[in-house]
Amino acid sequence: MFNYLLRRIYLLSITAFILTLLAFTIEHWTVHTQIDDNTFSHYFSYLNSIIKGDFGVSIIDNQPIFNTGLVAFSSTLELCFFAFIIAIIIGMPLGIFAGLDRNNGVDYTIMTIALIGLALPVFWVAIIFTILPHALGITLPIDGNISPIYEIPVVTGLLLIDSLLVTERYQLDAFLNHLTHLILPSTVLALFLTSEIIRLTRHAITMVMKSNYIKAAHTKGLTRWQIVYRHVLKNALPPIIHQIRLQLSTIISFAMAIEIVFSYQGAGMWLFASIHQGDYLVLSAALLIISGFILISSIIIDFILVLISPSKRKSLYADQ
Amino acid sequence: MRFLPLYISLLLLTACYQTESTLTDSLIYCADKSPTSLNPQISHDIASLDATTHQLYNRLVKIELISKRFVADIATHWVINEDKTRYTFFLRKDINFHHTDYFTPSRPLNADDVIFSFKRMLSKKHPFHFVNGEADNYRYNHPFSSLVQDIIKIDDHTITFLLNKPDATLLANLAAHYGVIHSQEYALQLLKTGHPEKIDYFPIGTGPYQFKQKNKQIIRYQAHKFPWQAPVTINNLIFDITPNSTKRYAKLLSGECDIITNPASSQIKQISKNKSVLLSSQPTGNISLLSFNTKSSPFDKKEVRHALSEAINLDTILDAVFFETAVATNNLLPKHSWAYNPRTKKTTFSPQQSMTKLKVINFDFNKNIRIIAPIKNSIFNPNFYKTAELIQSNWADIGIKSEIILLRESELHNTLLTGDYDIYLTGSSPYIKDPDNLFRPLLSCNANSFEGNSSQWCDETMQNLLDATLLETNFIQRVKNYYQLQEMIQAQRIYLPIAHLLRFDVFNKNISGLLVDPLTGIDFQAVRKVLPINKVKAH
Repeated sequence: MFNYLLRRIYLLSITAFILTLLAFTIEHWTVHTQIDDNTFSHYFSYLNSIIKGDFGVSIIDNQPIFNTGLVAFSSTLELCFFAFIIAIIIGMPLGIFAGLDRNNGVDYTIMTIALIGLALPVFWVAIIFTILPHALGITLPIDGNISPIYEIPVVTGLLLIDSLLVTERYQLDAFLNHLTHLILPSTVLALFLTSEIIRLTRHAITMVMKSNYIKAAHTKGLTRWQIVYRHVLKNALPPIIHQIRLQLSTIISFAMAIEIVFSYQGAGMWLFASIHQGDYLVLSAALLIISGFILISSIIIDFILVLISPSKRKSLYADQ
Repeated sequence: MRFLPLYISLLLLTACYQTESTLTDSLIYCADKSPTSLNPQISHDIASLDATTHQLYNRLVKIELISKRFVADIATHWVINEDKTRYTFFLRKDINFHHTDYFTPSRPLNADDVIFSFKRMLSKKHPFHFVNGEADNYRYNHPFSSLVQDIIKIDDHTITFLLNKPDATLLANLAAHYGVIHSQEYALQLLKTGHPEKIDYFPIGTGPYQFKQKNKQIIRYQAHKFPWQAPVTINNLIFDITPNSTKRYAKLLSGECDIITNPASSQIKQISKNKSVLLSSQPTGNISLLSFNTKSSPFDKKEVRHALSEAINLDTILDAVFFETAVATNNLLPKHSWAYNPRTKKTTFSPQQSMTKLKVINFDFNKNIRIIAPIKNSIFNPNFYKTAELIQSNWADIGIKSEIILLRESELHNTLLTGDYDIYLTGSSPYIKDPDNLFRPLLSCNANSFEGNSSQWCDETMQNLLDATLLETNFIQRVKNYYQLQEMIQAQRIYLPIAHLLRFDVFNKNISGLLVDPLTGIDFQAVRKVLPINKVKAH
């Protein structure tokens, strides 16, 4: 296990090194002003400062970029988290239905809907969703993370938690207001994710259903639902998690595009506003924060996979 | 499948969702632009005026919106001497400045504060004159420096304005947005701490609301803690900067904004049909116009200017460019101005007559007329290029060639100063209600083309009339003079007025008492917010 971790951390450090080179190039070409320095020593001083968490100060509001970036990115993560929950709640059962009764009417209907969900451009769906609530007579907020009426001090950076810390002043109003602001953007993001999860679940279920141990379970006289609960779901889960891990960067990019439509103050909006106002230093910081998160989270997911799936343990020794 | 109810319950959260419109002590105003500063002495754009003049500050006198008369604000009353060169103002004694986290005043407003505020604009020796680099701005130093000789403190609550010569526009200037009063005590504190620039960004005034916090998207105000006027019913006033006009309207409908400004011109018709919101429109005095460069041949001939004007179909421009955000006009002054001359002749669209006239005066039909316009649309015109295209097409119908040149601000500045253009699509935005404020920049020999005189016009008779009217203290004579001036402008066709622009604000039906002064900005002092009718029963 220790060996496995070492291997992963080794891989992480190489990727991180390449990323710092990329971030440095952006910083060096866009905002660098120390003309006397040579590039090499400038890179080391840059590396030194980012290790200390010093990404510089924004030219727009004089705030440290790293702090603003982390708060913005945690808002994006909240959005992704909610979208994930919605997508799993809807996508998993639908995928199971489609996978169990492959190539029949239910499967075709579910897969057609999933395909439409995948084919629709995410920003277009987002724009439609800003109009939809009013057209349906529902009152739902379409702009921002929370109403400006509520003044929420940044404590953890996660608005869901921070809004709960001000219950003395606003009771649960601020928290509920934030939740309602999350509904539309996370539903749009979930639309894409749900389609993806339906496809993955269906495929995984089909593969597992073909296995010999499922046939054996059948012959043992287990009912269909007993087989699904006891054997199919547990074995179908690892490939789904593995595939979702690969989709992580796509999900974050989609979330960032959606944020711009809904003016949701996350990493996408932060980047968009900063580039719009010429604060290019933010680019390299955002690159490091976002890709750093994807790297670390993919290692954590790998680790979880190893824990839940014995077959994956072979990769501990890089056999596969 | 068992999780489906969870998701449905998430959607049911909408039932718990209290829209902002149900919180009656908070008001969200969705503006289109962020103010450039929080001091209307140095920022003259409408976004800055909306965010400051009526909210944060008071002036010595103000203009009552309905009667259009000067009424007391900080001054209780004023007296004018016989030769109209000394205006003495008597100040109220109970006016408190804002108490904020960054400043606690030790005394109420007195004459020192008034003198401090005006001397900042008047005197180059004033420690704040050059702070935040607006000293070169025409509106910063011009209105008072040419008008006021000195301001004298008689006692703590009496001050006298000494004028260079009798001038009827002093009161209008004092009631203008830049006539606001700051705290001298706060300014001295800032000087001591070495941050005088904060005076324009962390403001202290006497207005009904005090500044709380500002970031890129939000400006927060709270009610003045020790108000000298009737206390406001809105405790939290929030400016939410939403640049996209469609989104502003969508936010109004979703209850995220209580009031929005400047809806898209193409949406006005649809908004006026929506029964859940109210649309307020105000004539602004801003005019969109076309100027002929009278220094360049053949536009130096008034016959050419008249004939070319008659070939332009202004109705089409109004329909296609302005939709319903402007009203047709044939006069530079808006109809609501006291000096508006209703007898001025209307320019009629008659291309055939125009062509005949041009042939009679031997107009060179091979000449390529250069129409210049700003590349960036502004409050004067929602689409300069489309306007230019329509004019180009009208002229092409009678065989006149023209080309459209769109210029960036710096290029435009140079072109205007060198005079290398034929036609210029522009506008004029007066900042006080006095007609002199509109006519002088457009017609005075002393004004350059960048200050407003883009027709490069200079005529001795008109200049004398302008100057005489400014000094004239007999109101009837002033009106007569301006009538005469408008007839002269019409006869010479120096400018072709295209449209007078309207200002639009849209608000929810539970809002009342909103006042909008197109010159000094929006006023939330008397605004009241009640629960929406559909929510009253629920509470």
